[in-house]
Amino acid sequence: MPRPVVKEITFTLNGREVQAPENMILADAALQFGDVEIPVFCYEPKIGSPVGACRMCLVEVEGLPKLQAGCATPIKDGMVVHTDTPRVKEAQEAILEFILINHPLDCPVCDKGGECPLQDKSFGWGGGISRMIEPKRHFEKPLALSPLIAIDRERCILCYRCVRFSQEVSEDDQLILQERGADTYVATFDGHPYVAPFSGNIIELCPVGALTSRPYRFRARPWDIEQSGSVCTLCPAQCNVSFTVRDDRVLRVLQRDNDEVDDGWLCDKGRFAYQAMHVDERVTQPLLRDGGELRPVSWELALDTAAKALGRAGTKVAALAGGESTNEEGWLLQRLMREAIGSPDIDSRAGGTLDIGLHRALSDPRAQASVVDLEFAHAVLVLDTEPVDDAPILDLRLRKGARRNAVKLFVATSRPSSLDGRATAITRFAPGAGEALVAALDAAIAGRDIDALARAAGSTAADVRALADGLKAAGEDVVILWGERLTHGPRGDHAARALLNLSATLGLPGRDGAGLLQIPAAANGRGLREVGVLPNAGPGLSETPAGRDADAIADAAAAGEIAALYLLHTDPLLDQRRRQVWDAALEKASTVIAHASFLTPGIREHATVVFPGESHAEKEGTVVHPDGRLQRLRRAIGRPHETRGEWQVLADLSKRLGTDLGVLTSSMATAKLVAQIPFYAGMTLDAIGGRGLRWPAADGAAAFPSGAAAPFALESPPVAAEPNGRLRLGTFRSVWAAPEVEASPALHFLHPRQRVELSPADAERLGIGQGTKVVVGSNGHSVSGVAELRAATPEGSVFLESALDADSAGVLDGPLVEVRKA
Amino acid sequence: MTIDPTDIPRYAGGSRVPGWDDAADLSKDPAGIPDPAQTPVPDDLRAEIEELMTRYPERRSAAIPALYAVQNRYGWCTPQGVEQAACVMRLTPGYLTAVATFYDMLETKPVGRNNVYVCTNISCSLCGADELLAALREELGEDPDVNLRGFECLGACDIAPMASVNGEYVGPITLDEVPELARQIRAGQEPLPAKQLRLRPSADPKVNAG
Amino acid sequence: MTDILLFKDIDEPDLHTLPVYERRGGYHQLRAALGTPRDQLIASLKGSGLRGRGGAGFSMGMKASFLPQGTMQKYVVVNADESEPGTFKDRELMQKNPHQLIEGIVIAAYAVDATKSFIYIRGEYVHQADVLDAAIAEAYAAGHLGENVHGSGFDCSLVLHRGAGAYICGEETGLLDSLEGKRGNPRLKPPFPANQGLFQGPTLINNVETLSTIPHILELGFETYAAIGVKNSSGTKLVSVSGNVRHPGNFEIELGMKSRDIIYGLAGGPPEGREVKFWFPGGSSSPVLTPDDLDLPYDFDSLAQSGSMLGSGAIIVVDDSQSVVDVCLKLAKFYAHESCGKCTPCREGTNWTVKMLRRVQDGTATPMDLDIMASVQERIIGNCLCVLGDAMAMPVGSMIAKFRGEFEQHIETARAANEAQALSGALA
Repeated sequence: MPRPVVKEITFTLNGREVQAPENMILADAALQFGDVEIPVFCYEPKIGSPVGACRMCLVEVEGLPKLQAGCATPIKDGMVVHTDTPRVKEAQEAILEFILINHPLDCPVCDKGGECPLQDKSFGWGGGISRMIEPKRHFEKPLALSPLIAIDRERCILCYRCVRFSQEVSEDDQLILQERGADTYVATFDGHPYVAPFSGNIIELCPVGALTSRPYRFRARPWDIEQSGSVCTLCPAQCNVSFTVRDDRVLRVLQRDNDEVDDGWLCDKGRFAYQAMHVDERVTQPLLRDGGELRPVSWELALDTAAKALGRAGTKVAALAGGESTNEEGWLLQRLMREAIGSPDIDSRAGGTLDIGLHRALSDPRAQASVVDLEFAHAVLVLDTEPVDDAPILDLRLRKGARRNAVKLFVATSRPSSLDGRATAITRFAPGAGEALVAALDAAIAGRDIDALARAAGSTAADVRALADGLKAAGEDVVILWGERLTHGPRGDHAARALLNLSATLGLPGRDGAGLLQIPAAANGRGLREVGVLPNAGPGLSETPAGRDADAIADAAAAGEIAALYLLHTDPLLDQRRRQVWDAALEKASTVIAHASFLTPGIREHATVVFPGESHAEKEGTVVHPDGRLQRLRRAIGRPHETRGEWQVLADLSKRLGTDLGVLTSSMATAKLVAQIPFYAGMTLDAIGGRGLRWPAADGAAAFPSGAAAPFALESPPVAAEPNGRLRLGTFRSVWAAPEVEASPALHFLHPRQRVELSPADAERLGIGQGTKVVVGSNGHSVSGVAELRAATPEGSVFLESALDADSAGVLDGPLVEVRKA
Repeated sequence: MTIDPTDIPRYAGGSRVPGWDDAADLSKDPAGIPDPAQTPVPDDLRAEIEELMTRYPERRSAAIPALYAVQNRYGWCTPQGVEQAACVMRLTPGYLTAVATFYDMLETKPVGRNNVYVCTNISCSLCGADELLAALREELGEDPDVNLRGFECLGACDIAPMASVNGEYVGPITLDEVPELARQIRAGQEPLPAKQLRLRPSADPKVNAG
Repeated sequence: MTDILLFKDIDEPDLHTLPVYERRGGYHQLRAALGTPRDQLIASLKGSGLRGRGGAGFSMGMKASFLPQGTMQKYVVVNADESEPGTFKDRELMQKNPHQLIEGIVIAAYAVDATKSFIYIRGEYVHQADVLDAAIAEAYAAGHLGENVHGSGFDCSLVLHRGAGAYICGEETGLLDSLEGKRGNPRLKPPFPANQGLFQGPTLINNVETLSTIPHILELGFETYAAIGVKNSSGTKLVSVSGNVRHPGNFEIELGMKSRDIIYGLAGGPPEGREVKFWFPGGSSSPVLTPDDLDLPYDFDSLAQSGSMLGSGAIIVVDDSQSVVDVCLKLAKFYAHESCGKCTPCREGTNWTVKMLRRVQDGTATPMDLDIMASVQERIIGNCLCVLGDAMAMPVGSMIAKFRGEFEQHIETARAANEAQALSGALA
């Protein structure tokens, strides 16, 4: 889909000629190009097209008899605009007078005071006197709108931003207007709380103090605080954030508009999980296991113990890096392993080894799509991922593209998706049968026979064909947004080949605005792979002697072949499959060294040395966004208590083991790793700056090592198991299944418990009703949960959450499980 | 000590609007689009709403008719009924509530089944509508079966003062007809048959001239 | 007489049924129109000088010509929300001659190549909606509606949509939002409905009376029709007269008729012994006129020149027994109740005006409040998203301007009464 073409025009603003892009909204053009602020309340282009409701932006346009809404007037060549005539001033004063007649003047006790657009507008454009002598309206306040948001209806000026956000951006349609006219108020259905993944954005959108953050209320005044920009690393979406800091504590997280990353939105995890930085449960000093208990010790002792244990283990050491690790940490870890210890057993993925040629092909810059492409493509295929869980902010981007640019959405997932309602075509397939589905789709697009493949995928030929026909009809710019889990498991290579074939069949490589966009399973999954945290690739996806992948590490450790495990920001019990194997592996390893902020089950039970982890507000370094954008983390607060920079811990350990990595600061690590990766050429910290820089679109991309080339000859994928009375097991990781969520008091209510999603037909057959307690079992292991009946759940499948502390689906082995009443 | 806000003088002057003082009930789940597997909908209501949706290019257009269907079934737009309609229409119940509260004829609180709207707009009030409403209120008392409301212009100023009794326009109503009208409303009879608008010839002297 | 078109034999028994309507020549104009080139039809509508009968008075033919050509889905929407206080003409047309409307709709739909039509009728008009539903069914059965109307290859569907009580849905964009199943909030214009209306498609939206007139224009020939009435106000107009008159009702007049002849001649004037104090010439949104204005010709331009408007053609007569303060408060309360709440000046301005008028009524205001009130009206006018705010501010402003003395007198009288009461209370 063609991006809008911009033509420069000249218009006259208060007697001056101003150049600006044609059809730009006058209010924006005046501010950006004419340095004239037209005051607005309801106008917020992020939300959608202007509504012209508040009338604050009235201006005079020559040739038009009535005053015009500056927020809704596209500028044209030769237009003559006045924003400072007596007539305009009279109108601005009028609107402010109307807005203020019922707005309480409780600014001294209002959380918004000092950073309130209404205060600013009243100061700048108001008449200064009030002529209304009637009593203002008074209501009880503040009221809870949700556990996170308080609503003060007295203060509401009915700009509708919050309601429009709920309806037009997050499309959850939960926040509504009730009644009419002056009685109109913001509410929810029948007193239900407004709980949705993106609800916190309405706090920032509110131009008055009507919607306030319950965790932030009365914690600070604007003159107490400083803003500090960084990047959220709680999920792969890596939204740009600004930390509100007071007394070296993060008190709030705000969006930091970057429309190539997050469009200026945040999810509630990113917005509220900052609380986990300042809770007592956080690990803020080194811990050592002593008599079965983890006890605080000095850094010296901890480092020494760790170094000695690693020394004893020789090369029988394996390491895993979790998604919150930065590129620098990952790069230092692989050097520690490969150079200081001499072990190639290092991984950052959870699903087994993927051939290096396939890694390269999947990351090939010519086949990459960017986040912005999601908004302007002809079609987006959402493949084996649930964006709202896996990279929440992309869910909003997909909806935006579909809503504003008529991008056609296609959904191919096992579990019903929250995007189904927006989809042009939906195909369901058996959990884990993504390879067969992709092969079937590719065959259908190429016009080959697909019956066997569709059956193998646990789908139907008709569904696959509908998807294929839809994709073909939609247009040539197709983005495939795919979840890393597609390439997990022993047949990961096959699935990757099928995906590359599909990409080639659709003609995506080399096409601008089209391509593959992977949602990694871990926040910095892409960066960690690129800096060499893979068992079969070194920095820059270079050839390297092969080591064990995560699955093999687990087996080897469980078999006693690995003496020490190094866990950088990861708890295998939560982040890996096959929980019981990992239980055994951690048990068997004589040394488990972990970097962690929280004592999650695996760390709590098995770690011998724990180094305190930095939060993302304390870290320095870089991460790589799923679309190849290098982004920079900057320290907003000091590290608490004894916490040290983790890059430093890795460098220290290496030194103690006799290998000096030559890294004295975090930025030295950045410079060295960039120097080692040819396709990162030019990616200095300065160049990355506050907005990030996409290496696939930069000069260095030419140096990317070429990978395996499609088309590949595929072997027949295995046929999805028939349930035969049992159910196919599908798992997913909820956005809320994170230690930071559990540790944040404000978010704790969202921390998930196991819900067993069943189709109504299966539930009826099993005699299970909504809310029934059920037990799901396989291979002698079982988890319990509460039945959740979903009409859209495909018959024959059951879906459970993984990465939970208790009753996590991680202990179950697919493909089939038994479900019964507890 | 709890304070009754209605006792506070500063509250008395402002308009108190139902709903404005209500917080969300944090024990409830968020109200998304109801899942059909968890939301039983009576078959006939489902069939009616599904038929209504077929009349329009986009299903949302059936919002008002679907809410009428809920209201006809339950007497008012009950939360449960709104959820059922939302389930059939694949909308959130919040969306439908926003619509329902916008329109005067959709009731979002329990009301009597007999709708009696007395027009109190300009033309009717010039002809004594306020007195008519007061008299009817007096006569009907707090009858739980009657939803007596003063209403904005009903578009029948030619029969002022008038009322709409379950949709039947009657007028002009004199004060001495009020007891009879009240009796008919209670008994479910035709209201003032001789004064029904549908039987009234045009006032224009020329049109029936031939 | 040429000044009886829409109301011709309006009380003929069963005129609302298809057989009677057809026996009287109904649907002939539709058949003829289906064989006429579209641009010629639109030229006829333009040439007739027919101006919208809903309130704004925009040329119907011009509006139809604004719809883009092309294959996109277009719509005709009939505004049957008749909710302007004092107006009840469309009600009579729909109840007594629904096929005249349907014929007009299908002709208009054909002229602009719209295959889907909707009638948005206010929910209060239960009987009229039932009559229309039956008439639509008859028209479908007879092939006046549906696929391939009379073998012309033109498809025309028509759905009756019942509103649920909101004045703002008479505003065309509020109506469209309501018809789309939303709250009936008016939209920002532009885009105008002719370009982006219902479901974002080009939409011709017209009032019931406007569309009911189309068959007559075609029957008479547009030149003949255009000759009826006066310059810039051609044709006949249904006028709803109500309030303090002896014979309230709908009258079909030739535009340009003297207002006095309508109020006194047709509607019988105020009751015995009463005089006209003031009158709304075009629904409650029109600035009030005084007895001095009674000799104005009743047409678009004359009323506009007098500072008011023809609006929906609803004359509300207020006699000298009535208090202007009461009428003003009633009116303001109505608009405050019906404001959709979307834009600031209307939502807050109407509400504030009511509060001020309440104080005027109960004697706690001062003459300075009248100045503030007048200024508030000026601050509403022209600053709103749609015309509802203006619809209150203009008549309220005109009442304060023309009857300021009575407002002041009322405040003084009420204040004195309050004082007397307080005094007697203190003494007792």
